[in-house]
Amino acid sequence: MTEVVDPRPIAAVLISVVGTFAILAAHRRPNVREGVTLTVALGKFGIIASMVPGVLAGDIYVWSLGSFVIDIPFELRADALGLLFGTLASLLWIITSLYSIGYMRGLDEHSQTRYFASFAMSLSAAVGIAFASNLLVLFVFYEVLTAATYPLVAHDETEEARKAGRKYLAYTFGGGVAVLAGTAVVYWLAGTVAFTPGGIEALATADPTLARGAFALLAAGFGVKAGLMPLHSWLPDAMVAPTPVSGLLHAVAVVKSGVFGISRVVLDVYGPEAVADLGVGLALGSVAAITLVAASVIALRKDNLKRRLAYSTVSQLSYIVLGLSILHPDAITGGLLHIPAHAFMKLTLFFCAGIIHVETHTDDISDMAGIGKRMPLTMAAFAVAAAGMAGIPLVAGFVSKFYLLVGTVSVGNYVFAGALLLSGILNIAYFWPVVYQAFFESEDAHDAKPLVENPLGGMERSSLARPDGGRPEDGDDSADEDDDLDVDPEEFGRPDFSGSSEKRDYSEPAPLVDGEYAVDQNPSDHRVEEGDETEGDDADDHTSEDHHSTEDHHDEHHHGGPPPSGWTRSGWFGGESTWFMLGPILAAMTGSVVLGLVPHTAVFLRLIDGIVSAVLAGVTF
Amino acid sequence: MTDIVLPLLIAVPIVAAVAPLLLSLWSTETGWPVATVAALIEAGLAAVLLRSVYFDGRLVHEVGGYPAPYGIELVGDGLSAPIVALVAVVAVGVLAFARSAGPRRNSFYSAYLLCVGGLMGISVTGDLFNMFVFLEITGLSTYALVASDRSGESAIAALKYLLLGTTGASLFLIGVGYALIATGTLNMVDLSVRLAEIYTTPGGSRVVLASFGFIAVGLGLKAAIFPLHTWQPDAYTYAPDTVTVFIAALASTVYAYALGRVVLTVFTVDFFDSVPIAQDGLLALAAVSIVAGSALAAVQSEVKRMFAYSSVAQFGLVVAAFALATPDSILGGVIHLVGHALMKGGLFAAAAILAARHGARTVDDYARLGYRSPVVAAAMAVLGLALVGVPPSIGFLGKWYVALGAVRSEAWPVAVVVFLSTLFTLVYVARLLERLYFADPGSAPTPAPGNAEAVADGGDESEEDRIDSRAPDSVSVGMVAVVVLTALVVVGLGFATSGFETLLEPVLSEVFSQ
Repeated sequence: MTEVVDPRPIAAVLISVVGTFAILAAHRRPNVREGVTLTVALGKFGIIASMVPGVLAGDIYVWSLGSFVIDIPFELRADALGLLFGTLASLLWIITSLYSIGYMRGLDEHSQTRYFASFAMSLSAAVGIAFASNLLVLFVFYEVLTAATYPLVAHDETEEARKAGRKYLAYTFGGGVAVLAGTAVVYWLAGTVAFTPGGIEALATADPTLARGAFALLAAGFGVKAGLMPLHSWLPDAMVAPTPVSGLLHAVAVVKSGVFGISRVVLDVYGPEAVADLGVGLALGSVAAITLVAASVIALRKDNLKRRLAYSTVSQLSYIVLGLSILHPDAITGGLLHIPAHAFMKLTLFFCAGIIHVETHTDDISDMAGIGKRMPLTMAAFAVAAAGMAGIPLVAGFVSKFYLLVGTVSVGNYVFAGALLLSGILNIAYFWPVVYQAFFESEDAHDAKPLVENPLGGMERSSLARPDGGRPEDGDDSADEDDDLDVDPEEFGRPDFSGSSEKRDYSEPAPLVDGEYAVDQNPSDHRVEEGDETEGDDADDHTSEDHHSTEDHHDEHHHGGPPPSGWTRSGWFGGESTWFMLGPILAAMTGSVVLGLVPHTAVFLRLIDGIVSAVLAGVTF
Repeated sequence: MTDIVLPLLIAVPIVAAVAPLLLSLWSTETGWPVATVAALIEAGLAAVLLRSVYFDGRLVHEVGGYPAPYGIELVGDGLSAPIVALVAVVAVGVLAFARSAGPRRNSFYSAYLLCVGGLMGISVTGDLFNMFVFLEITGLSTYALVASDRSGESAIAALKYLLLGTTGASLFLIGVGYALIATGTLNMVDLSVRLAEIYTTPGGSRVVLASFGFIAVGLGLKAAIFPLHTWQPDAYTYAPDTVTVFIAALASTVYAYALGRVVLTVFTVDFFDSVPIAQDGLLALAAVSIVAGSALAAVQSEVKRMFAYSSVAQFGLVVAAFALATPDSILGGVIHLVGHALMKGGLFAAAAILAARHGARTVDDYARLGYRSPVVAAAMAVLGLALVGVPPSIGFLGKWYVALGAVRSEAWPVAVVVFLSTLFTLVYVARLLERLYFADPGSAPTPAPGNAEAVADGGDESEEDRIDSRAPDSVSVGMVAVVVLTALVVVGLGFATSGFETLLEPVLSEVFSQ
């Protein structure tokens, strides 16, 4: 490992800072502005990719500003682990930028300049996190990432978006405080916070209680962004952001930076030996395993596609954390490989959700029956990516999962192996219905989804007829939505209870209000909205999550679902949408397949092998 | 010979303070030019002092040639030189701001210069009673400055400040009296030696503790630590906006510096070791101040009042830094003193501009101003985030050192409070930022047009006709430039650790040499 002084790490970070200002300056000319984004994204990827051969050969590129605080230097180091994250983030930014253009213009969104500028700044921070050479520089960029992504989360400027933004800030700044506290304790114990492959020596010999405390602080701090339960709650709410944001930031950059932080802490601050000695590996692994399974179970019940994907993200991130905490070379390899694998797959899935929203304004799975006719390429990509998530061979998810399983079994940790397998089954359970109904069912004849529709704890049913004909729960609070019907009585004629005259001719279909029938605005018959459950206890974390999704049916302008005549058939040649969005979807899907077929050639696995051998040098299993 | 800088720093503004009043026999427009010339001379002197202290260490001047401990010593060292520089720079900055913002009366500028002189005096004096004298000079001129827009509210606020401030100064004087009775000297260095002889003997520590207590409470009142802060929100809120920028940046800062100077040079770290209750009491007070100040700030709707309570919390952080008395925390305290002054001054200046342009005074009024005044709002956002402690900024730097000092001395409750102060600050800063950029377009009530739009003929004699007597008359490019420059400096100084370390190293080695 030879260190080479090189300005490329800082150049990779700064290029998009310059880009941010250029985007702000180009706010009156959208095409120039988008061109800046693409140029900067390509440039960033070029700089980072140019460092890959050198790092694979054993060089590390270092750039330093000198001492930043006390004797801790402000230094950027492009090593294998950093390049893993950096390459991933910058490559996916190119794809996401193209998708963003299609998405934002397709929806004619407001504040696009602010959006693209914040995006550029966020990527700058993400690459800074990747190349940070010590905990303090990582913290600096971690906080900048939070500040830069907030405008993206709150982009919609609705009350829901603002609330999600506040929650995001509270959670992520809280996490930042924990990271800072952990960094201070580590510095006090060890005298340094620099990343050393295999761990900082002085930390292994420090007071165990304090070392465990610092590990807990760091893991919790990074765990907020990594979506470890119970710190994950910001992630589903952040789905209110535009889909490219959810995709890149909340499936790739932000959450991966949390996982990346954990990997740095486990591999380069404490080192596998110290983590094993202190016993914190098992604790972290347990939290990850619980998150794995619990998030998958919650995802089963989500009707809103993005929310389902959010919980899937929470679950999949814990694969990475689990792999890192097992400390066997195969497990670590699997965990680290899941970083790019999940990124490609989840990005594909989010992009599919986004394009469906743009084209059909459909957000809920229960409206998506037969949508394979309308969006065949999209749903095909969705199917491939979902298969990868479940661990089906030929797609990236299988490779990382295989390594993880081998690792957990080698160490003898059958409980974790069981959790992984269970989660794989649950993955199939919550992705398969989406794919199946898209292609093999049709809008007018599709199966019910009992997991989504039925409330927890069952429904009360009566065999006797009820006088008012309503469902048993209709007397409850949330069903009193008749007040909100903004139907003009003059237009439709008041009900005449005298029974004498009938002004309306009931042989004609009812007039449409806002594109759908008035009775359907607040449907009460064929499906239960999730907010109608009368679960009162918040003791169970799972049920309290569902209350957050009551916003699902408050989405004001979303009358999703097929038009009255059913989905129109688009061909398989891209007629379903613009190539600005389809291209990135297919590119991300291809990426996940390539990573699944030839992980070594797609350079990620080679980088990971380098990381693992450096970290575990001298450690025997 | 460079030590002549020290008395000049005090004398120049005080002598210059007379000029606007005298010259008003000829013209009423002389206030600002005289003040600017004096401030620029001050800035030059401060630069000389800073340079001398940076390269050569401690600088001492004996006033009138009388030797210490009988005479008054003026001292420039690593602790006072940054404060002197801060006072000079902010004085120039506020004058640049006041050119368009007003107030314009000559008497205002006289009081302004008197205040600068007093602040410089507190910063460089090495004699405890001399510090009281300058404390009073600063206080009296500050009371006048607060009331300078001649409105009823500011007069009451100034009166409140006067009563409480004088009480604080009197308590300080009683503390100095006890110290004098016990030791017979007033020179700081000499006091430290003689006090040490007293508190190390059994039973002797009561007098010293009493002296410390009175001085700490007196200065705490002046620096507005909870629960001695009650004058501050009114004074900051009702003073003219330019004055608020000045006193928020400088007055409490220099008083907090004075507390630090007394703790470190007069009583020294050994006093804390011998009489732990002094340190624990001060730490407890500081921690409570951080929490209470932030909590009070979070519930405010008026922006200036919110920032005022924020200062209560931030000075709690500074007092905690000095009370911890470790090398890291003292460095953090000095950095945060300078940093907070710049950040808070910048925030008040930005608020002044927004009040002048849009008549925005409450958080609700700030709805979507991020798009109507993008540059000023962006600067406000940067300064706000720096106050929260987002790196890279001087706000983060100070907080890190204080936190590290707390961790290293294993003062866990203080460490927890310091770390959580980030989140406390975030509550009110995030509210403001969200309102600036993400508010509902329909929700904001249309604010009354600000002074900059309302004054039709721009006559500067019509101060009584203005809607808001506190807000600046008009907004100039210079004002915006001052705010933007402050934001840039705040971020840039986030990388300036080595400068602060070099300055403070001789001081710290002396403080911790025993």
